Amino acid sequence: MDSVPNISPNELERLTDQDKAELRQFIGNETQRAKIQTQTHSMTEICWTKCIPASSKGNKLDSSEQSCLANCVDRFLDLNLATLKHLSSLRN
Amino acid sequence: MDSEAVKKAIIKQVQLESNMNNAKQLIEKINENCFQRCVPKPGSTLSSSESTCATSCMEKYMAAWNLVNASYVKRIQQEVHNNGFAT
Repeated sequence: MDSVPNISPNELERLTDQDKAELRQFIGNETQRAKIQTQTHSMTEICWTKCIPASSKGNKLDSSEQSCLANCVDRFLDLNLATLKHLSSLRN
Repeated sequence: MDSEAVKKAIIKQVQLESNMNNAKQLIEKINENCFQRCVPKPGSTLSSSESTCATSCMEKYMAAWNLVNASYVKRIQQEVHNNGFAT
């Protein structure tokens, strides 16, 4: 693994305002990326169970498995949106 | 270290931790799902057919992860484009 030098609080104070702003932007993007990855882990598990049968052979996904996975993601997100929409209609 | 070096070190550290975290989550899911699938009745050893099954299960699970991620990112971009609203 790459070794990363430890950063002391003292060294943090050397950051210029511009570098601080860049870091905030970077952390925001990374946080977004991490959220998407976590959601991907959860959907992969759900769609794996639905689309890849135990009888599935070989080391690669076949084309029907691939299209099932893509549809699974889209329909899962449709349902997600529909749920939010319905809930907000109940509130009104 | 000057400001530039401190910034680069922080970025590197964050990326490292983020990648480690993602790999950890993936390994955990692969273990759970492929164990479930490939070892229906645990015996006294892991048989060769069980370990062959686990290898192909792992490759397929990673392919599925990549496909799900790509579909998800595409959908987010569509939603942002259509409504300026991300799920």
